[in-house]
Amino acid sequence: MSFEPKILGIACNWCTYTGADLAGTTRLQYPQNIRMVRVMCSSRINPSFIFKAFQLGADGVLVGGCHPGDCHYNTGNLYARRRLAVTKKILEFSGMEPGRFRVEWISASEGNKFAEVVSEFTEQIRNLGPQTKFKIEE
Amino acid sequence: MATSFKQIEENLKNEARKLLEDQKVSLVLAYGRGYDENHPVPFVAKVAADVENIVFNEYCTANMARYLVRYPRGTKMAIAVKPADSRAVVQLIQEDKVKREDLILLGIPVIGMKNSKTGEAIDGKTTCGLYNPVLYDVLLGEEIHGQPVDSPYDVLAQYEAMDKDERFAFWKKEFDKCIRCYACRKACPMCYCDPCFIDQNKPKWGDKSPQSHGNLMYHLTRFHHLAGRCIDCGECSRACPVDIPLYLFHKKVARECEEMFGQAAGNSIQDKPVLVNFRVDDSDKILE
Ligand code: SF4
Ligand code: SF4
Ligand code: FES
Repeated sequence: MSFEPKILGIACNWCTYTGADLAGTTRLQYPQNIRMVRVMCSSRINPSFIFKAFQLGADGVLVGGCHPGDCHYNTGNLYARRRLAVTKKILEFSGMEPGRFRVEWISASEGNKFAEVVSEFTEQIRNLGPQTKFKIEE
Repeated sequence: MATSFKQIEENLKNEARKLLEDQKVSLVLAYGRGYDENHPVPFVAKVAADVENIVFNEYCTANMARYLVRYPRGTKMAIAVKPADSRAVVQLIQEDKVKREDLILLGIPVIGMKNSKTGEAIDGKTTCGLYNPVLYDVLLGEEIHGQPVDSPYDVLAQYEAMDKDERFAFWKKEFDKCIRCYACRKACPMCYCDPCFIDQNKPKWGDKSPQSHGNLMYHLTRFHHLAGRCIDCGECSRACPVDIPLYLFHKKVARECEEMFGQAAGNSIQDKPVLVNFRVDDSDKILE
């Protein structure tokens, strides 16, 4: 059987999640490997969510937020940018493939960008293969 | 010439006695005799008579800043600080855990500290490697200059050079040794959360039994929570009964933070911790 990546998407309510909706309502095609979770803001994302997702078997994690400067709460994503940059470095130094975690700024009107990013990221994870390092053995 | 440990001990006792007698402070955080000379323990002098029990020698590695947050806000305290310890105090002031005006810092320049477990010299490989405190009110010995200054990050090169699978195997082996005694967190001046995320049950972030996945969760999250805050005293690693080189990971995160945000932890009480701060022009490159 060919490998179908399991990808967790965490998107903020005001931009990326709405952008994902737009991609859906305009019937853009993108891979169905992503499962979206909506949070109110990218700064709501506790870095442990990401570690946990990998432990529970995610092959990749994609975080989406408003473009810097456009956060609904003004500064949320500016904090998130710093925090998630640290998360990325920690994953990398722990030995996780850096390509499995990605942060993108996607606005509510960028349905296209959402579809593109998801397609590209899915392809990248497909190439990386199953994530086994953090995954908890049953 | 560096002041001798004996002389520093004398100076420390004199300062402590004076401060307690004049009731300038209600306690002095210092070191006391353990079961032998080589194993001093954290010690709190509360009255002038306690001062006789104070010691200072090359094995006084504990970071006494650890104990500052135990006392009610507003308690006037004096604390013996070695270079890294002084950075911990600065960081705690930045985080508004203690107030500058409540503290008297008894600064101790050090060279030749030793790990009481292994007898090895303590230098920039396992700590920040500074010789002089960054903040103090009284200096208990002469400042140390003219010693070799190595980057505290040099030790990382060989781990950064590893390929990711090798590095994962390295850390897995280390984290798998962890018995979850939490001595690392207890020794750390910056680990003051109550409850610690790993002790929470709802949500339960990680398993509490000492097994791979819970250990991984505990350590990665702890490294994250200390990002931009760890002042590289190395106490966590010295406290660890199974010798996990936690300091390596902390150093790596500290170095990344310094490079990305242009500020090291515990340098100035004017700074704001990097992760509760931002610049509008932070580059998206840091996410790559
Ligand atoms: S994490 Fe370790 S090296 Fe860093 S401040 Fe805490 S005890 Fe010191
Ligand atoms: S001190 Fe060592 S064994 Fe104890 S919890 Fe920390 S890393 Fe694990
Ligand atoms: S609301 Fe979208 S990033 Fe803050």
